[in-house]
Amino acid sequence: MNGDDSTDGTDGSWRDRGGATLDRLVDASAAERIAISLTALVFAIVVGAVLVFVSGFVADCSSPFIYLPGLGYGCYNPLEVYWTILAGSFGSFSDLGQTLLETTLLLFTGLSVAVAFRAGLFNIGTQGQMVLGGLATAMTVLTVGEFLPANLLGSLVVIPLGVAVGAVVGGIWGMIPGLMKAYADAHEVITTIMLNFVAAGVAYWLVQVHIGDLASDSVQTHSIPAIARLPESIAGSRFSVIALLAALAVAVGIALLYTRTVLGYDLRTSGIQETAAEYGGVDAKRNVVTSMTLSGALGGIAGAVYVMMVQYRWQAGIPSLGFDGIAVSILAGNNPIGVIPAALLFGTLKSGSLAVDISLGVPNELIEVLRGLIILFIAMPEFFRMIGKRYGYGTDPVATDGGESQ
Amino acid sequence: MSASTITGRQRLALGAVVSGLFVLAVALLLVDGGREIAVDVAGVFTASYLGSALRLTVPIAFAAMGGIFAEKSGVINIGLEGLLIIGALSAIATNYALGLESTPIDANPWLALLAAVLASAFVAFLFAAVCIEFKADQIIAGLAVWLIALGAAPFVSVIIWGQRNSPRVGMFSSISIPGLSALPGIGAIFSITPPVLLLLLAVPFSWFLLNRTTFGMRLEASGEDPKSLDTAGVDVRKVRYAGVILSGIYCGIGGAGLALNTGTFVGTGDTMIDGRGWIGLTAYLIGNYNPVGAFLASFLFAGLDALQLELQQISTITISSTLVGIVPYVAVLVVLTFVGRTRMPSAAGEHYDSDE
Repeated sequence: MNGDDSTDGTDGSWRDRGGATLDRLVDASAAERIAISLTALVFAIVVGAVLVFVSGFVADCSSPFIYLPGLGYGCYNPLEVYWTILAGSFGSFSDLGQTLLETTLLLFTGLSVAVAFRAGLFNIGTQGQMVLGGLATAMTVLTVGEFLPANLLGSLVVIPLGVAVGAVVGGIWGMIPGLMKAYADAHEVITTIMLNFVAAGVAYWLVQVHIGDLASDSVQTHSIPAIARLPESIAGSRFSVIALLAALAVAVGIALLYTRTVLGYDLRTSGIQETAAEYGGVDAKRNVVTSMTLSGALGGIAGAVYVMMVQYRWQAGIPSLGFDGIAVSILAGNNPIGVIPAALLFGTLKSGSLAVDISLGVPNELIEVLRGLIILFIAMPEFFRMIGKRYGYGTDPVATDGGESQ
Repeated sequence: MSASTITGRQRLALGAVVSGLFVLAVALLLVDGGREIAVDVAGVFTASYLGSALRLTVPIAFAAMGGIFAEKSGVINIGLEGLLIIGALSAIATNYALGLESTPIDANPWLALLAAVLASAFVAFLFAAVCIEFKADQIIAGLAVWLIALGAAPFVSVIIWGQRNSPRVGMFSSISIPGLSALPGIGAIFSITPPVLLLLLAVPFSWFLLNRTTFGMRLEASGEDPKSLDTAGVDVRKVRYAGVILSGIYCGIGGAGLALNTGTFVGTGDTMIDGRGWIGLTAYLIGNYNPVGAFLASFLFAGLDALQLELQQISTITISSTLVGIVPYVAVLVVLTFVGRTRMPSAAGEHYDSDE
């Protein structure tokens, strides 16, 4: 093989491949997409149940629930696990608060991934954008908070400022892979993952050595002032309804951007039909950068909300909400409105997983496995069509709806 | 098929890395007391440094070479990171199980390596089936493999050991070449671990397999022009299965090789694999789908990684280890900016349906 680096764009690139698939995903009718998502979810839950059941034979426990000859004692009852997830996420007001809190964060990270996906880009870097955005927010509110009155007025200044700074820093961190993609042809999957590692390293170093709470044993910043904390809406949890409403507003706003504005239309077509967009006088390269920046900004906002609503400081070991966002977005068919139920579902899983860990001893890493399984099953719609054919359901080719997802 | 030529852009990329290191060296000299630091740093490049760089090359280069087989056949496997994680965990879990009182045999790193290869190859087979039979999008399915491994490995660790990290369970011991390994200074070169030995054998083997065998020609055709291959009476699906399963076997060796260096599995954060699969992916792009080039690129990244480990040992340098730790990732970003689009197999990423 001779490595001629032709840049005429006719030879295959991952971009074109990914674009073609995203095309198909977007072109599938809304009804079919919802069916695929729900079926994938059911399959992931079933496979997860099998995993839980089997791993119960390896784990040790005092009161096994089943004995199978040849295998020994099984510790975990899958049905009980899923019931505990539900009970643990809606069982009390504070549980509900925790569920809505997770949902709010997942709305932002899910939307972040969806914005990139709609432009035919895989943003795996939401995690890094969130980490750096959140750190910038923490430092901003710590610095500015000192000079503001400790009342509602102070909050009205410092909270929006914190969100804005998080969005800007996250946006810049998302813009870098966008620029590399548009002007150097570097594949965004690799660059965003590398930037996650860089973001984690840089943030850790800054907080550990320079700007953190140097007196503390753990790597964290000082606690943010009270005026920068989002007010609690439900007793026993730090959930703030303001953040949830803002997230819902952003979801609707992005949906309107795509369906009602010229910019939104251009962003979508650049991702799906680069050549066609160029003929139409659209600067596809610039749109790649715009989409990745917007995606990064949403990731940064997720970090800002995490700092101001959940942790009240930046701390090393931010949970992997960015990767959860990938599953949320894919489950939602990358539709900003669809992200709302998908985020609620994942929020339920995440807040319930703590109860599973505490009361049943099943490691809460189970949710991470489910996350991957859901992505896997949605990536293979053909599998479900085959099953559908076998049982005599519709075999019609997918109806296209022009990329609109109403 | 001639060996691939280095393109202008790749030369640029390597030039960028070298000049970057040069700038770093000059910057060091300008630092107060930089001269002594420079001497210290120069002292790092010893035979033992070479040894540790090679040990760190194992997971990256095996992932890279595995990735070549998969992509040449027409299936882009970005799940390499996940396959490495599965390899590392399986090796340690197997060694732990063998070492238990209740099992008749003792812990044995070779059996652990075998188990890792089987586990990783099996997951690769599932990934291949998902892509080939069910026409899944290869990028999303590959991401799913990584994310599943990222969740399942700590899950299994907690089930077995009650925490995300394993205890020490035995590892490979070095093979020393009698006489030569006792030489002062360079002796360390002649004392290598089995995974490194496997790597040094795998590089020429992979090159030969790709460029000098019928199987290699079929792999090439399966990724470039599956229609012709089909016309010639070869089952494209089988060739693609073989390519992807090979990538699983290689990642099994790579992951086990890394884990059996220390004899532990670390499942916290991004697990002990820590992005090496992704670096391997970049390494074969830079190496332009040639195992030798992929090995050299992997060695470059691993060398940076080994360098930061060595620098932490030097007391005169007070750079944060975290900051130096991100150097390989930054290097990947710089290189990607220069390499950009590579000439990938024409049909990679596409499903092939034989019209029978």
